[in-house]
Amino acid sequence: MTYTPHTTHFSEEDLIAYQLHESSDEAVIQHHLELCPECAATSDSIAETLRVFSSAPVPQPDLDRNWQRLRGNLSVLTPVPPRAFFPRFLLWPAAGLAAVALLLFTFVGVHISRDRDRIADLLPAIERMSHTGAGPNTAANTAINGHGPLTTEPTGAADPAMANHLDAAERLLTEVNHTSGSLDPATRAQARDLLLSNAVYTRTARDHGDLAQAAVLDDLGRVLTTLDNETSSPHSTLQLRLEMNTSGLLLDIRILRQNDDRQNDNRQ
Amino acid sequence: MNKAEADAIQQILAGNRDAYRVLMDRHFSAVHRIAFRITGNQADAEEAAQEAFLRAYNKLPGFRHDASFSTWITRIAMNTALNLVERRNRDLSQQGPRIAENPSPADQTIQMADTYPGPERQLLDREAATLRNDALAALTPMERTAFTLRHMEDLPIAEIAAALNVPANSAKQAVFRAVGKLRRSLAPLAGGL
Repeated sequence: MTYTPHTTHFSEEDLIAYQLHESSDEAVIQHHLELCPECAATSDSIAETLRVFSSAPVPQPDLDRNWQRLRGNLSVLTPVPPRAFFPRFLLWPAAGLAAVALLLFTFVGVHISRDRDRIADLLPAIERMSHTGAGPNTAANTAINGHGPLTTEPTGAADPAMANHLDAAERLLTEVNHTSGSLDPATRAQARDLLLSNAVYTRTARDHGDLAQAAVLDDLGRVLTTLDNETSSPHSTLQLRLEMNTSGLLLDIRILRQNDDRQNDNRQ
Repeated sequence: MNKAEADAIQQILAGNRDAYRVLMDRHFSAVHRIAFRITGNQADAEEAAQEAFLRAYNKLPGFRHDASFSTWITRIAMNTALNLVERRNRDLSQQGPRIAENPSPADQTIQMADTYPGPERQLLDREAATLRNDALAALTPMERTAFTLRHMEDLPIAEIAAALNVPANSAKQAVFRAVGKLRRSLAPLAGGL
């Protein structure tokens, strides 16, 4: 408030604040009370009121009795468990998301694997383009057709009959790759003959743990089966070459045959 | 919070209910005193103090150990006592006997200490006590709580405001209004003071 001596009285609220020592104008009010009997009387009345209520005694509680009453209502407590990393209400949504992510991962993984197969199918052609005239020994050490580590190193189990089988298969596939129209019956018959022996060599390669060779022979088996069963048409051979990647298979077989030849040379 | 209280809380949380007696022995009297200031009678003060200690016990698992148990239980007690007063005021059946014309232990009103046991003095003291109780009962729960805690318990306005969950200025105004009302209520006793 704006105070002008002798002309304005302090309010009751100001004087209560003064008596409770809550006033910011304590010195000014004290000075006014010395000069103003009316405000001094009100201030004394406030002080007396405060004195009356200051003397109110407080009875002492009976601690034992209160404890006995209280103890009967106390349950056995346990500490609050640490907050879970995920709130409970997010548990099921999180599990659902994880399941969806797993399915998506599997789906994408399968497609990537298929794409890798397709890319690997193209590798032989790329190799031929980049290494024109080079022998099989200089070919890159790649997993051809995406079926495993088909290397340019000779295998430990060279078999002359196997070499003959690969040679026959190579000639057949060369014929297929160079035929523009339908295959003649003699070529089809040759495919049928190779089919049985190919199954035996495929099983043998698997038994010896040569999975790369087994994979190539497996591919060869599918081509031979197709050749044996496909109806002859002007475009059937071209369709076969595209669908079965006979060019890539031919390169794989050449590598296998080369490996067998080197194995035989080492033996001699 | 000192080590004894921290140890007691740990034991309580480990399943030992009797360890709560340590905290009760240390703080029950102070809590009861504040509850008495707010409620104005011993029965309600004990009830409010008991309820405050029970609430605090049940909230112990979430109690921050870096906080002061004393401050915490005091705030709970203030709220509990204030709620009890408001509950009593709503329940008309509880109001009549509390402020009796002739206080007696059965009425649960305060018996003032008397150093002058003469009959006339006793009569005057009883009359003064009745007037005081009437005056306090005429205050709102907020005014009564703010006044008693500020004037009788000498608590700072900021702490009272925090306990009552009101701005500091509101708590201060409640104290000022209470003093004004009490002064006018006691005017007959003081011969027009």
